[in-house]
Amino acid sequence: MCGIAGRIVGGNGVLGRNLVDLMDAQEHRGADSTGFAIYGPIRDNGYVLRGMGFDKTKIDSDLADFENVLRDNGSDYLNNPDILTDENAHYCFRMEISDPKELIAWVHDADMLSDRIEVQSCGRSLEIIKDIGGASAVADKHNVRDMVGTHGLGHARLATESSVLPNASHPFWARPFSDVAIVHNGQITDYFTWRKKLERKGYRFLTGNDSELIAVWVSDQMKSGLTMQQALTNSISSIDGVFTYMIANTDGIGFAKDRFAMKPLVVMDRKGDLAMATEEQAVRRIFEDEGEVTNYDGPSMTALWGVGNRSIAA
Amino acid sequence: MSEYIIDVGKRHIKEINEEIQEAAKQGKEIHVVNTLSRHNLGVGLPAGAKLTFEGSVGYYCGGLNVGANIEIERNAGWACGEGMSKGHITIGGYCGMSCGAAMMGGTIHVKGDAGPRCGVAMKGGTIVVEGKIGYQSGFMAHSGRIIALGGAGASCADALWEGEVWVAGEVESLGVDVNVLEPTSEEVAEVDAILDPLGLTDSSRNWRKMVSGQRLWYFESREASAWLMI
Repeated sequence: MCGIAGRIVGGNGVLGRNLVDLMDAQEHRGADSTGFAIYGPIRDNGYVLRGMGFDKTKIDSDLADFENVLRDNGSDYLNNPDILTDENAHYCFRMEISDPKELIAWVHDADMLSDRIEVQSCGRSLEIIKDIGGASAVADKHNVRDMVGTHGLGHARLATESSVLPNASHPFWARPFSDVAIVHNGQITDYFTWRKKLERKGYRFLTGNDSELIAVWVSDQMKSGLTMQQALTNSISSIDGVFTYMIANTDGIGFAKDRFAMKPLVVMDRKGDLAMATEEQAVRRIFEDEGEVTNYDGPSMTALWGVGNRSIAA
Repeated sequence: MSEYIIDVGKRHIKEINEEIQEAAKQGKEIHVVNTLSRHNLGVGLPAGAKLTFEGSVGYYCGGLNVGANIEIERNAGWACGEGMSKGHITIGGYCGMSCGAAMMGGTIHVKGDAGPRCGVAMKGGTIVVEGKIGYQSGFMAHSGRIIALGGAGASCADALWEGEVWVAGEVESLGVDVNVLEPTSEEVAEVDAILDPLGLTDSSRNWRKMVSGQRLWYFESREASAWLMI
Protein backbone atom coordinates (compact mmCIF):
# COMPACT_ATOMS: atom_id res chain seq x y z
CA MET A 1 0.00 0.00 0.00
CA CYS A 2 1.35 3.38 -1.01
CA GLY A 3 -0.22 6.77 -1.53
CA ILE A 4 0.26 9.01 -4.52
CA ALA A 5 -0.79 12.54 -5.34
CA GLY A 6 -0.66 15.11 -8.06
CA ARG A 7 -1.37 18.80 -8.10
CA ILE A 8 -1.71 21.36 -10.87
CA VAL A 9 -1.88 24.81 -9.36
CA GLY A 10 -4.37 26.89 -11.27
CA GLY A 11 -5.24 29.44 -8.61
CA ASN A 12 -3.42 30.78 -5.61
CA GLY A 13 -2.22 27.49 -4.16
CA VAL A 14 1.41 27.08 -3.15
CA LEU A 15 2.62 23.95 -4.85
CA GLY A 16 5.04 22.75 -2.18
CA ARG A 17 2.62 23.34 0.70
CA ASN A 18 -0.24 21.68 -1.21
CA LEU A 19 1.79 18.58 -2.06
CA VAL A 20 2.94 18.24 1.55
CA ASP A 21 -0.71 18.51 2.69
CA LEU A 22 -1.76 15.85 0.16
CA MET A 23 0.93 13.50 1.39
CA ASP A 24 0.43 14.29 5.07
CA ALA A 25 -3.21 13.21 4.68
CA GLN A 26 -2.03 9.89 3.23
CA GLU A 27 0.86 9.20 5.58
CA HIS A 28 -1.03 6.18 7.01
CA ARG A 29 -0.62 4.55 3.58
CA GLY A 30 3.14 4.43 4.06
CA ALA A 31 5.65 6.40 6.08
CA ASP A 32 8.81 4.51 5.13
CA SER A 33 9.71 7.32 2.80
CA THR A 34 8.13 10.33 1.16
CA GLY A 35 8.97 12.13 -2.03
CA PHE A 36 7.95 15.06 -4.19
CA ALA A 37 8.43 16.03 -7.82
CA ILE A 38 8.20 19.79 -8.18
CA TYR A 39 7.96 21.55 -11.53
CA GLY A 40 9.29 25.06 -10.94
CA PRO A 41 10.03 27.91 -13.33
CA ILE A 42 11.49 26.59 -16.61
CA ARG A 43 15.08 27.61 -17.41
CA ASP A 44 16.13 28.46 -20.94
CA ASN A 45 19.40 26.64 -20.43
CA GLY A 46 21.19 24.72 -17.73
CA TYR A 47 19.75 22.00 -15.52
CA VAL A 48 18.98 21.63 -11.86
CA LEU A 49 20.05 18.32 -10.37
CA ARG A 50 18.81 16.65 -7.23
CA GLY A 51 20.25 13.51 -5.75
CA MET A 52 22.12 11.90 -2.91
CA GLY A 53 25.42 10.36 -1.95
CA PHE A 54 25.50 7.33 0.27
CA ASP A 55 28.42 8.10 2.58
CA LYS A 56 28.57 11.58 4.05
CA THR A 57 32.18 11.10 5.14
CA LYS A 58 33.17 11.05 1.46
CA ILE A 59 31.38 14.19 0.23
CA ASP A 60 34.54 15.95 -0.94
CA SER A 61 35.90 13.08 -3.03
CA ASP A 62 32.40 12.28 -4.42
CA LEU A 63 31.90 15.84 -5.56
CA ALA A 64 35.40 16.10 -7.03
CA ASP A 65 34.80 12.99 -9.14
CA PHE A 66 31.34 14.20 -10.08
CA GLU A 67 32.79 17.54 -11.19
CA ASN A 68 35.37 15.77 -13.36
CA VAL A 69 32.60 13.88 -15.14
CA LEU A 70 30.72 17.13 -15.67
CA ARG A 71 33.77 18.85 -17.17
CA ASP A 72 34.55 15.86 -19.40
CA ASN A 73 31.07 16.40 -20.83
CA GLY A 74 31.48 20.14 -21.36
CA SER A 75 29.41 21.17 -18.33
CA ASP A 76 30.17 22.79 -14.99
CA TYR A 77 28.55 23.91 -11.76
CA LEU A 78 26.78 27.26 -12.14
CA ASN A 79 27.19 27.85 -8.41
CA ASN A 80 28.27 25.91 -5.36
CA PRO A 81 26.24 22.74 -4.81
CA ASP A 82 23.90 22.77 -1.78
CA ILE A 83 24.63 19.82 0.49
CA LEU A 84 22.31 18.62 3.24
CA THR A 85 23.40 16.19 5.93
CA ASP A 86 21.77 14.87 9.09
CA GLU A 87 22.20 11.87 11.39
CA ASN A 88 21.74 9.46 8.47
CA ALA A 89 24.67 8.06 6.52
CA HIS A 90 23.51 9.57 3.24
CA TYR A 91 23.64 13.21 2.20
CA CYS A 92 21.42 15.06 -0.28
CA PHE A 93 22.44 17.59 -2.88
CA ARG A 94 21.00 20.22 -5.17
CA MET A 95 23.14 21.51 -8.02
CA GLU A 96 22.72 23.83 -10.95
CA ILE A 97 24.80 22.96 -13.98
CA SER A 98 25.35 24.35 -17.46
CA ASP A 99 24.22 22.26 -20.43
CA PRO A 100 26.43 19.24 -21.08
CA LYS A 101 27.42 18.69 -24.72
CA GLU A 102 25.10 15.71 -24.83
CA LEU A 103 22.70 15.05 -22.00
CA ILE A 104 22.36 11.31 -22.59
CA ALA A 105 26.14 10.82 -22.74
CA TRP A 106 26.65 12.79 -19.54
CA VAL A 107 23.94 10.85 -17.68
CA HIS A 108 25.60 7.64 -18.80
CA ASP A 109 28.97 8.80 -17.45
CA ALA A 110 27.52 10.22 -14.24
CA ASP A 111 25.73 6.92 -13.59
CA MET A 112 29.13 5.21 -13.46
CA LEU A 113 29.44 6.85 -10.03
CA SER A 114 25.94 5.86 -8.97
CA ASP A 115 27.11 3.40 -6.31
CA ARG A 116 28.50 6.45 -4.46
CA ILE A 117 26.56 9.45 -5.71
CA GLU A 118 23.24 9.19 -7.52
CA VAL A 119 21.51 11.81 -9.64
CA GLN A 120 17.79 11.51 -8.90
CA SER A 121 16.43 14.25 -11.10
CA CYS A 122 17.65 16.40 -13.91
CA GLY A 123 15.48 19.09 -15.36
CA ARG A 124 15.04 22.54 -16.76
CA SER A 125 12.11 22.64 -14.32
CA LEU A 126 11.85 19.34 -12.40
CA GLU A 127 13.29 18.78 -8.93
CA ILE A 128 12.75 15.49 -7.13
CA ILE A 129 13.05 15.60 -3.36
CA LYS A 130 12.87 12.26 -1.60
CA ASP A 131 14.00 10.84 1.68
CA ILE A 132 13.16 8.32 4.35
CA GLY A 133 10.42 9.37 6.80
CA GLY A 134 6.90 10.75 6.72
CA ALA A 135 5.59 13.79 4.85
CA SER A 136 6.27 16.35 7.57
CA ALA A 137 9.76 15.06 8.35
CA VAL A 138 10.82 15.13 4.70
CA ALA A 139 9.13 18.49 4.12
CA ASP A 140 10.85 20.03 7.15
CA LYS A 141 14.26 18.68 6.23
CA HIS A 142 14.11 19.81 2.60
CA ASN A 143 11.97 22.92 3.01
CA VAL A 144 9.44 21.55 0.51
CA ARG A 145 6.51 23.69 1.70
CA ASP A 146 8.04 26.88 0.35
CA MET A 147 8.79 25.49 -3.11
CA VAL A 148 6.84 27.15 -5.89
CA GLY A 149 5.89 25.80 -9.27
CA THR A 150 3.10 24.96 -11.66
CA HIS A 151 2.56 21.28 -10.89
CA GLY A 152 4.00 18.28 -9.17
CA LEU A 153 3.69 14.78 -7.75
CA GLY A 154 3.85 13.26 -4.29
CA HIS A 155 4.43 9.78 -2.94
CA ALA A 156 4.22 8.00 0.40
CA ARG A 157 5.92 4.63 0.40
CA LEU A 158 5.11 1.47 2.28
CA ALA A 159 7.93 -0.79 1.14
CA THR A 160 6.46 -4.16 0.16
CA GLU A 161 8.78 -5.44 -2.56
CA SER A 162 12.21 -4.12 -1.63
CA SER A 163 14.26 -2.48 1.13
CA VAL A 164 13.64 0.84 2.79
CA LEU A 165 16.54 2.81 1.38
CA PRO A 166 16.65 6.55 0.81
CA ASN A 167 17.22 6.17 -2.93
CA ALA A 168 14.49 3.53 -3.29
CA SER A 169 11.91 6.22 -2.52
CA HIS A 170 9.66 7.72 -5.17
CA PRO A 171 9.32 9.71 -7.40
CA PHE A 172 11.60 8.12 -9.96
CA TRP A 173 13.20 10.07 -12.73
CA ALA A 174 12.86 8.58 -16.21
CA ARG A 175 16.61 8.90 -16.81
CA PRO A 176 18.15 10.09 -19.08
CA PHE A 177 15.24 12.25 -20.28
CA SER A 178 15.13 15.54 -18.46
CA ASP A 179 11.97 16.64 -16.61
CA VAL A 180 10.13 13.29 -16.56
CA ALA A 181 9.07 11.75 -13.23
CA ILE A 182 6.78 8.94 -12.10
CA VAL A 183 5.07 7.86 -8.88
CA HIS A 184 3.49 4.43 -8.49
CA ASN A 185 1.03 2.73 -6.16
CA GLY A 186 0.99 -1.06 -6.53
CA GLN A 187 3.26 -3.96 -7.37
CA ILE A 188 4.87 -4.93 -10.67
CA THR A 189 4.81 -8.71 -10.90
CA ASP A 190 6.93 -9.15 -14.05
CA TYR A 191 9.64 -6.82 -12.72
CA PHE A 192 12.58 -9.20 -13.18
CA THR A 193 11.53 -10.24 -16.70
CA TRP A 194 11.25 -6.61 -17.77
CA ARG A 195 14.38 -5.54 -15.93
CA LYS A 196 16.47 -8.17 -17.73
CA LYS A 197 14.99 -7.15 -21.09
CA LEU A 198 15.69 -3.47 -20.50
CA GLU A 199 19.18 -4.09 -19.11
CA ARG A 200 20.02 -5.97 -22.29
CA LYS A 201 19.04 -2.79 -24.14
CA GLY A 202 21.58 -0.87 -22.05
CA TYR A 203 19.37 0.70 -19.35
CA ARG A 204 20.67 0.91 -15.79
CA PHE A 205 18.62 0.20 -12.70
CA LEU A 206 19.88 1.97 -9.59
CA THR A 207 17.56 0.38 -7.00
CA GLY A 208 15.72 -2.89 -6.36
CA ASN A 209 12.39 -1.07 -6.30
CA ASP A 210 9.84 -2.49 -8.74
CA SER A 211 8.43 0.98 -9.38
CA GLU A 212 11.74 2.08 -10.90
CA LEU A 213 10.83 -0.26 -13.74
CA ILE A 214 7.99 2.05 -14.79
CA ALA A 215 10.40 4.98 -15.08
CA VAL A 216 12.88 2.97 -17.13
CA TRP A 217 10.12 1.43 -19.23
CA VAL A 218 8.69 4.89 -19.95
CA SER A 219 12.18 6.08 -20.99
CA ASP A 220 12.35 3.23 -23.47
CA GLN A 221 8.95 4.19 -24.87
CA MET A 222 10.04 7.82 -25.20
CA LYS A 223 13.21 6.72 -26.95
CA SER A 224 11.01 4.92 -29.48
CA GLY A 225 9.29 8.25 -30.11
CA LEU A 226 5.96 7.47 -28.46
CA THR A 227 3.85 10.19 -26.89
CA MET A 228 2.92 10.12 -23.23
CA GLN A 229 -0.60 8.99 -24.12
CA GLN A 230 0.74 6.13 -26.23
CA ALA A 231 3.13 5.09 -23.46
CA LEU A 232 0.34 5.16 -20.88
CA THR A 233 -1.95 3.06 -23.06
CA ASN A 234 0.81 0.57 -23.93
CA SER A 235 1.78 0.09 -20.31
CA ILE A 236 -1.61 -1.41 -19.46
CA SER A 237 -1.17 -4.37 -21.80
CA SER A 238 2.64 -4.57 -21.46
CA ILE A 239 3.29 -4.41 -17.72
CA ASP A 240 1.86 -7.06 -15.40
CA GLY A 241 0.80 -6.32 -11.86
CA VAL A 242 -1.46 -3.94 -10.01
CA PHE A 243 -0.74 -0.30 -10.54
CA THR A 244 -2.01 3.19 -10.59
CA TYR A 245 0.89 5.36 -11.58
CA MET A 246 1.27 9.00 -12.54
CA ILE A 247 3.84 10.43 -14.88
CA ALA A 248 4.67 14.09 -15.23
CA ASN A 249 6.67 16.30 -17.58
CA THR A 250 6.83 20.06 -17.98
CA ASP A 251 3.49 20.07 -19.83
CA GLY A 252 1.38 18.24 -17.28
CA ILE A 253 0.46 14.96 -15.60
CA GLY A 254 -0.85 11.66 -16.94
CA PHE A 255 -1.96 8.46 -15.26
CA ALA A 256 -2.63 4.80 -16.07
CA LYS A 257 -4.35 2.02 -14.19
CA ASP A 258 -4.01 -1.76 -14.54
CA ARG A 259 -6.57 -4.18 -15.96
CA PHE A 260 -7.70 -5.39 -12.55
CA ALA A 261 -8.55 -1.89 -11.27
CA MET A 262 -7.05 -2.44 -7.83
CA LYS A 263 -5.65 0.97 -6.96
CA PRO A 264 -7.79 4.09 -6.77
CA LEU A 265 -7.34 7.63 -8.02
CA VAL A 266 -9.57 10.51 -7.00
CA VAL A 267 -9.50 13.81 -8.86
CA MET A 268 -11.04 17.20 -8.22
CA ASP A 269 -10.74 19.49 -11.23
CA ARG A 270 -11.76 23.11 -10.82
CA LYS A 271 -11.21 24.58 -14.26
CA GLY A 272 -7.65 23.38 -14.51
CA ASP A 273 -6.92 23.81 -10.80
CA LEU A 274 -6.43 20.12 -10.04
CA ALA A 275 -5.79 17.92 -7.06
CA MET A 276 -5.40 14.17 -7.47
CA ALA A 277 -4.73 11.56 -4.83
CA THR A 278 -5.19 7.95 -3.86
CA GLU A 279 -7.77 9.00 -1.26
CA GLU A 280 -10.56 11.55 -1.46
CA GLN A 281 -9.84 12.82 2.05
CA ALA A 282 -6.41 13.98 0.85
CA VAL A 283 -7.92 15.95 -2.03
CA ARG A 284 -10.27 17.54 0.49
CA ARG A 285 -7.22 19.06 2.20
CA ILE A 286 -6.90 21.23 -0.92
CA PHE A 287 -10.59 21.74 -1.68
CA GLU A 288 -12.33 21.53 1.68
CA ASP A 289 -15.83 22.20 0.46
CA GLU A 290 -17.89 19.50 -1.22
CA GLY A 291 -17.49 19.54 -4.97
CA GLU A 292 -17.51 17.43 -8.08
CA VAL A 293 -15.22 14.44 -7.49
CA THR A 294 -14.12 12.03 -10.22
CA ASN A 295 -13.22 8.52 -9.17
CA TYR A 296 -11.00 6.83 -11.76
CA ASP A 297 -12.17 3.44 -10.56
CA GLY A 298 -12.56 1.37 -13.71
CA PRO A 299 -10.04 -1.03 -15.26
CA SER A 300 -7.45 -0.04 -17.90
CA MET A 301 -7.94 3.72 -17.55
CA THR A 302 -5.68 6.55 -18.61
CA ALA A 303 -6.00 10.32 -18.45
CA LEU A 304 -3.90 13.39 -19.15
CA TRP A 305 -4.10 16.81 -17.56
CA GLY A 306 -2.25 19.74 -19.08
CA VAL A 307 -0.83 22.69 -17.16
CA GLY A 308 -2.55 25.94 -18.02
CA ASN A 309 -2.87 26.12 -21.78
CA ARG A 310 -0.01 23.72 -22.49
CA SER A 311 -1.10 20.71 -24.48
CA ILE A 312 0.23 17.45 -23.14
CA ALA A 313 -0.99 15.09 -25.86
CA ALA A 314 1.05 16.72 -28.62
CA MET B 1 -36.69 14.63 18.98
CA SER B 2 -33.93 17.04 18.08
CA GLU B 3 -30.82 15.94 16.25
CA TYR B 4 -27.51 15.47 18.02
CA ILE B 5 -24.80 17.15 15.91
CA ILE B 6 -21.31 15.66 15.76
CA ASP B 7 -18.57 17.67 14.05
CA VAL B 8 -15.81 15.59 12.44
CA GLY B 9 -13.21 18.09 11.17
CA LYS B 10 -9.65 17.07 11.93
CA ARG B 11 -10.32 15.31 15.24
CA HIS B 12 -9.01 11.78 15.87
CA ILE B 13 -11.35 9.21 14.35
CA LYS B 14 -11.50 7.18 17.57
CA GLU B 15 -12.76 10.17 19.52
CA ILE B 16 -15.46 10.80 16.89
CA ASN B 17 -16.60 7.19 16.82
CA GLU B 18 -16.76 7.04 20.63
CA GLU B 19 -18.96 10.12 20.59
CA ILE B 20 -21.19 8.51 17.94
CA GLN B 21 -21.45 5.27 19.94
CA GLU B 22 -22.29 7.11 23.14
CA ALA B 23 -25.01 9.20 21.46
CA ALA B 24 -26.43 6.07 19.80
CA LYS B 25 -26.56 4.32 23.17
CA GLN B 26 -28.63 7.23 24.49
CA GLY B 27 -31.05 6.79 21.60
CA LYS B 28 -30.25 10.15 20.00
CA GLU B 29 -30.77 10.85 16.34
CA ILE B 30 -27.30 11.73 15.12
CA HIS B 31 -26.32 14.14 12.38
CA VAL B 32 -22.61 14.06 11.51
CA VAL B 33 -21.27 17.19 9.82
CA ASN B 34 -17.99 18.44 8.35
CA THR B 35 -17.01 14.89 7.36
CA LEU B 36 -14.20 15.88 4.95
CA SER B 37 -14.41 12.39 3.37
CA ARG B 38 -12.71 10.91 6.46
CA HIS B 39 -12.35 7.13 6.83
CA ASN B 40 -13.92 4.67 9.30
CA LEU B 41 -16.83 6.86 10.31
CA GLY B 42 -19.68 5.07 12.10
CA VAL B 43 -18.14 1.61 12.18
CA GLY B 44 -19.81 -1.07 14.34
CA LEU B 45 -23.02 0.84 15.05
CA PRO B 46 -25.63 -0.86 17.26
CA ALA B 47 -29.14 -1.91 16.25
CA GLY B 48 -31.65 0.91 16.33
CA ALA B 49 -29.11 3.70 15.86
CA LYS B 50 -30.09 6.41 13.40
CA LEU B 51 -27.42 8.48 11.68
CA THR B 52 -27.07 10.90 8.83
CA PHE B 53 -23.77 12.02 7.37
CA GLU B 54 -23.62 15.42 5.75
CA GLY B 55 -21.59 15.42 2.52
CA SER B 56 -19.19 12.62 1.59
CA VAL B 57 -17.45 9.98 3.67
CA GLY B 58 -14.24 7.99 3.15
CA TYR B 59 -13.49 4.28 3.43
CA TYR B 60 -15.41 1.68 5.51
CA CYS B 61 -18.28 3.92 6.56
CA GLY B 62 -21.02 1.92 8.29
CA GLY B 63 -18.84 -1.19 8.32
CA LEU B 64 -19.79 -4.02 10.72
CA ASN B 65 -23.22 -2.48 11.09
CA VAL B 66 -25.48 -4.65 13.25
CA GLY B 67 -28.78 -2.90 12.68
CA ALA B 68 -28.35 0.86 12.40
CA ASN B 69 -30.05 3.05 9.83
CA ILE B 70 -27.39 5.17 8.14
CA GLU B 71 -27.82 7.83 5.52
CA ILE B 72 -24.90 9.36 3.62
CA GLU B 73 -25.83 12.54 1.81
CA ARG B 74 -23.28 12.31 -1.03
CA ASN B 75 -20.45 9.91 -1.91
CA ALA B 76 -18.91 7.03 0.00
CA GLY B 77 -15.35 5.72 -0.42
CA TRP B 78 -14.23 2.10 -0.50
CA ALA B 79 -16.05 -0.75 1.20
CA CYS B 80 -19.04 1.12 2.55
CA GLY B 81 -20.98 -1.29 4.82
CA GLU B 82 -18.24 -3.91 4.77
CA GLY B 83 -19.14 -6.94 6.88
CA MET B 84 -22.52 -5.58 7.95
CA SER B 85 -25.06 -8.09 9.20
CA LYS B 86 -28.20 -6.02 9.65
CA GLY B 87 -29.57 -2.54 9.12
CA HIS B 88 -29.90 -0.13 6.23
CA ILE B 89 -27.38 2.20 4.56
CA THR B 90 -28.40 4.79 1.98
CA ILE B 91 -25.74 6.49 -0.16
CA GLY B 92 -27.01 9.59 -1.94
CA GLY B 93 -24.31 9.71 -4.60
CA TYR B 94 -21.51 7.47 -5.82
CA CYS B 95 -20.41 4.47 -3.78
CA GLY B 96 -16.72 3.57 -4.24
CA MET B 97 -15.00 0.24 -4.75
CA SER B 98 -16.14 -2.93 -2.91
CA CYS B 99 -19.44 -1.55 -1.64
CA GLY B 100 -20.95 -4.08 0.79
CA ALA B 101 -17.84 -6.27 0.75
CA ALA B 102 -18.42 -9.53 2.64
CA MET B 103 -21.71 -8.26 4.04
CA MET B 104 -23.95 -10.88 5.65
CA GLY B 105 -27.30 -9.14 5.87
CA GLY B 106 -29.19 -5.87 5.73
CA THR B 107 -29.61 -3.53 2.78
CA ILE B 108 -27.37 -1.01 1.04
CA HIS B 109 -29.14 1.44 -1.24
CA VAL B 110 -26.95 3.47 -3.62
CA LYS B 111 -28.71 6.29 -5.44
CA GLY B 112 -25.85 6.93 -7.88
CA ASP B 113 -23.40 4.48 -9.45
CA ALA B 114 -21.29 1.93 -7.62
CA GLY B 115 -17.57 1.31 -8.21
CA PRO B 116 -15.75 -1.92 -9.10
CA ARG B 117 -16.38 -5.20 -7.24
CA CYS B 118 -19.64 -4.06 -5.71
CA GLY B 119 -20.77 -6.84 -3.34
CA VAL B 120 -17.42 -8.65 -3.49
CA ALA B 121 -17.55 -11.83 -1.39
CA MET B 122 -20.94 -10.92 0.03
CA LYS B 123 -22.55 -13.65 2.09
CA GLY B 124 -26.06 -12.31 2.39
CA GLY B 125 -28.23 -9.21 2.30
CA THR B 126 -29.15 -6.93 -0.56
CA ILE B 127 -27.43 -4.14 -2.50
CA VAL B 128 -29.67 -1.93 -4.61
CA VAL B 129 -27.91 0.44 -7.02
CA GLU B 130 -30.05 2.91 -8.93
CA GLY B 131 -27.22 3.63 -11.37
CA LYS B 132 -24.61 1.35 -12.86
CA ILE B 133 -22.55 -1.22 -10.99
CA GLY B 134 -18.80 -1.18 -11.73
CA TYR B 135 -16.30 -3.62 -13.16
CA GLN B 136 -16.44 -7.17 -11.81
CA SER B 137 -19.41 -6.59 -9.54
CA GLY B 138 -20.53 -9.54 -7.45
CA PHE B 139 -17.01 -10.99 -7.62
CA MET B 140 -16.94 -14.28 -5.68
CA ALA B 141 -20.18 -13.54 -3.85
CA HIS B 142 -21.33 -16.49 -1.75
CA SER B 143 -24.93 -15.47 -1.28
CA GLY B 144 -27.21 -12.43 -1.27
CA ARG B 145 -28.46 -10.28 -4.09
CA ILE B 146 -27.18 -7.29 -6.04
CA ILE B 147 -29.84 -5.35 -7.95
CA ALA B 148 -28.62 -2.77 -10.50
CA LEU B 149 -31.17 -0.57 -12.23
CA GLY B 150 -28.77 1.27 -14.55
CA GLY B 151 -26.65 -1.43 -16.16
CA ALA B 152 -23.36 -3.09 -15.27
CA GLY B 153 -19.68 -2.63 -16.16
CA ALA B 154 -17.38 -5.24 -17.65
CA SER B 155 -16.87 -8.70 -16.21
CA CYS B 156 -20.23 -8.65 -14.45
CA ALA B 157 -20.92 -11.37 -11.85
CA ASP B 158 -17.36 -12.69 -12.21
CA ALA B 159 -16.68 -15.99 -10.44
CA LEU B 160 -19.91 -15.95 -8.47
CA TRP B 161 -20.08 -18.71 -5.93
CA GLU B 162 -23.76 -18.44 -5.19
CA GLY B 163 -25.90 -15.35 -4.87
CA GLU B 164 -27.52 -13.39 -7.65
CA VAL B 165 -26.78 -10.30 -9.69
CA TRP B 166 -29.86 -8.68 -11.20
CA VAL B 167 -29.35 -6.06 -13.88
CA ALA B 168 -31.80 -3.88 -15.75
CA GLY B 169 -30.01 -2.12 -18.62
CA GLU B 170 -26.86 -2.80 -20.54
CA VAL B 171 -24.24 -5.26 -19.30
CA GLU B 172 -20.83 -4.40 -20.80
CA SER B 173 -19.59 -7.98 -20.56
CA LEU B 174 -20.00 -11.06 -18.41
CA GLY B 175 -17.37 -12.39 -16.03
CA VAL B 176 -16.08 -15.93 -15.84
CA ASP B 177 -18.59 -18.76 -15.30
CA VAL B 178 -21.88 -16.84 -15.43
CA ASN B 179 -25.29 -18.15 -16.36
CA VAL B 180 -27.77 -15.53 -17.51
CA LEU B 181 -31.35 -16.43 -16.69
CA GLU B 182 -34.74 -14.94 -17.50
CA PRO B 183 -36.31 -14.54 -14.05
CA THR B 184 -39.73 -16.00 -13.39
CA SER B 185 -42.60 -13.67 -12.51
CA GLU B 186 -42.45 -14.94 -8.91
CA GLU B 187 -38.79 -13.96 -8.71
CA VAL B 188 -39.50 -10.54 -10.21
CA ALA B 189 -42.25 -10.05 -7.63
CA GLU B 190 -39.73 -10.87 -4.92
CA VAL B 191 -37.31 -8.22 -6.23
CA ASP B 192 -40.13 -5.71 -6.66
CA ALA B 193 -41.02 -6.27 -3.00
CA ILE B 194 -37.47 -5.10 -2.14
CA LEU B 195 -37.67 -2.11 -4.51
CA ASP B 196 -41.17 -1.05 -3.52
CA PRO B 197 -40.35 0.49 -0.11
CA LEU B 198 -37.53 2.40 -1.84
CA GLY B 199 -40.00 3.77 -4.39
CA LEU B 200 -38.16 2.10 -7.24
CA THR B 201 -40.61 -0.36 -8.76
CA ASP B 202 -41.05 -0.19 -12.53
CA SER B 203 -42.90 -2.94 -14.37
CA SER B 204 -41.27 -2.13 -17.71
CA ARG B 205 -37.81 -3.36 -16.71
CA ASN B 206 -36.11 -5.98 -18.79
CA TRP B 207 -34.34 -8.00 -16.10
CA ARG B 208 -31.37 -10.24 -16.46
CA LYS B 209 -30.54 -12.46 -13.55
CA MET B 210 -26.98 -13.72 -13.34
CA VAL B 211 -26.04 -16.77 -11.31
CA SER B 212 -23.03 -19.06 -11.03
CA GLY B 213 -22.40 -21.50 -13.86
CA GLN B 214 -20.92 -23.72 -11.12
CA ARG B 215 -17.95 -24.69 -13.28
CA LEU B 216 -15.54 -23.01 -10.87
CA TRP B 217 -16.88 -24.95 -7.90
CA TYR B 218 -14.43 -27.74 -8.67
CA PHE B 219 -11.06 -27.28 -10.33
CA GLU B 220 -10.78 -29.09 -13.63
CA SER B 221 -7.33 -28.88 -15.15
CA ARG B 222 -8.73 -29.08 -18.67
CA GLU B 223 -10.73 -25.94 -17.92
CA ALA B 224 -7.78 -24.11 -16.41
CA SER B 225 -8.17 -21.27 -18.88
CA ALA B 226 -11.47 -20.35 -17.24
CA TRP B 227 -9.52 -19.55 -14.07
CA LEU B 228 -7.54 -16.84 -15.80
CA MET B 229 -9.61 -13.85 -14.84
CA ILE B 230 -7.92 -11.33 -17.11
